[in-house]
Amino acid sequence: MEFKAFLDEFKNQTGFDFCDYSDESLNRRLIKIQKETSLDYEGILSRVAVDEKFKQKIVEDITVNTTELFRDPDVWVGLYKKLYCSIPRNVTTAFWHIGCSIGLEVYSNLILLNELNMLDSVRVMATDLNSSVLETAKAGVYVYNKQFEDNFNKVFMELGKNVRFDKYFDRDKDTLKVKPFLTAVPKFKQQNLVSEDAPFPFKTDFVFLRNVMIYFNNKLQVKIMKMVYDKMYDGAYLILGKQERLPLNMSGRFEAIANLYRKNALNL
Amino acid sequence: MSDYKAVVIGGSAGSFSLMLKMLAGIKSDFKLPIILCMHRLKHVRSGIAESMQIKSKLPIIEPMDKQRIEPGAVYLAPANYHMFIELDGTVSLSTEEMNFFCRPSIDYTLSSCAAAYREKLVGIILTGANADGAKGLKDIADKKGYTIVQDPATAEVDTMPKSALAVMTPNEVLKPEGIIAFLNNL
Ligand SMILES: C[S@@+](CC[C@H](N)C(=O)[O-])C[C@H]1O[C@@H](n2cnc3c(N)ncnc32)[C@H](O)[C@@H]1O
Repeated sequence: MEFKAFLDEFKNQTGFDFCDYSDESLNRRLIKIQKETSLDYEGILSRVAVDEKFKQKIVEDITVNTTELFRDPDVWVGLYKKLYCSIPRNVTTAFWHIGCSIGLEVYSNLILLNELNMLDSVRVMATDLNSSVLETAKAGVYVYNKQFEDNFNKVFMELGKNVRFDKYFDRDKDTLKVKPFLTAVPKFKQQNLVSEDAPFPFKTDFVFLRNVMIYFNNKLQVKIMKMVYDKMYDGAYLILGKQERLPLNMSGRFEAIANLYRKNALNL
Repeated sequence: MSDYKAVVIGGSAGSFSLMLKMLAGIKSDFKLPIILCMHRLKHVRSGIAESMQIKSKLPIIEPMDKQRIEPGAVYLAPANYHMFIELDGTVSLSTEEMNFFCRPSIDYTLSSCAAAYREKLVGIILTGANADGAKGLKDIADKKGYTIVQDPATAEVDTMPKSALAVMTPNEVLKPEGIIAFLNNL
């Protein structure tokens, strides 16, 4: 069975549609899955049909969940200095993290907002395809990784602020736990970007869409960008990953400011 | 005029100075895209493209996701991303797990180039300290691409060229000067 035929059949059986993911990286995930399960495409499909847990595991293994606290520290420094300092406090500001994975991006953002005493005037939504990463995100419990602390220190050094890591995290040997006053803020919800609308009814002021669209082909990127665009207020900001830019044909809808994108009103 | 559509080169962190030398030696009207995947040291995440640009007559690009590969430019896999070339000649990036403790992985870039360019590809493995790249170069050879391994005797660390030679037989084993001359004659 060919790769494309497998994707079609997987979609028919499970409703999970990976047909418009980037071929090369998807292909390599599937080769890896075949190796690890010792099953060929037919074998995977027949087991998926009868084993719900196995199906979930395949979906998790196809998607890439790697993330960090304050991934690309410069981006966070820029956000804080250029935008966050001037957010008004008397109205609610809505944030949306798309493809939030285990939540480290969400907590990075909340830490900055807390430094500006803004936790009372924000609304934070975070969505992902995988329910298992969302469970980890809600709990805010991680395996300690030195890179997290290094990124944290780098951000605050560049902001010229003296903030200790243990203000936000409790560490016990290898376990790192986000403090409850942060985990209480965000709402984590499941959403498949390919097939579902945002799982909340309001528009947003800041959208994080980092290292998610790199797994999609151009056609799917355009479709998702349109959906996201409609969930943003005019003048709202879009934050993409360090090596990402707006998909072709979408650049007229945003004003690019360094690697931030500000939504233009549509001139119809 | 050559029948090749692209050149892909892999090397580990130690290949940096060699890479600079090669870039300096490549003529300014070089027509093919050069796709470059180099391991990077953890603490040196930026500045590599800038140093290369000083030596290279061709533009050095750390491509954005879905950027199109164009002739006469060098595409360097960005720090901390795997770089794949799609069948339509665009770049896809990924942050999936490391391969041989490395991201970017040379195998991943080489294998995707093998699928995208098939026999119209030149694949080159340089000096390096681990086995990443061997499988990728074999994939290129399997698709009838032209393969070159740096002569291990001239390599600062010969693990990478030797690993390649252990799994496949390249078209040529060349010293750095030979590789530069080969490229300039394409
Ligand atoms: C590499 S992580 C990015 C995490 C974080 N934004 C960052 O940059 O560190 C990509 C995330 O996108 C999610 N994802 C992939 N396909 C998706 C889809 N169709 N709908 C929603 N989320 C998806 C994955 O589950 C994964 O958690």
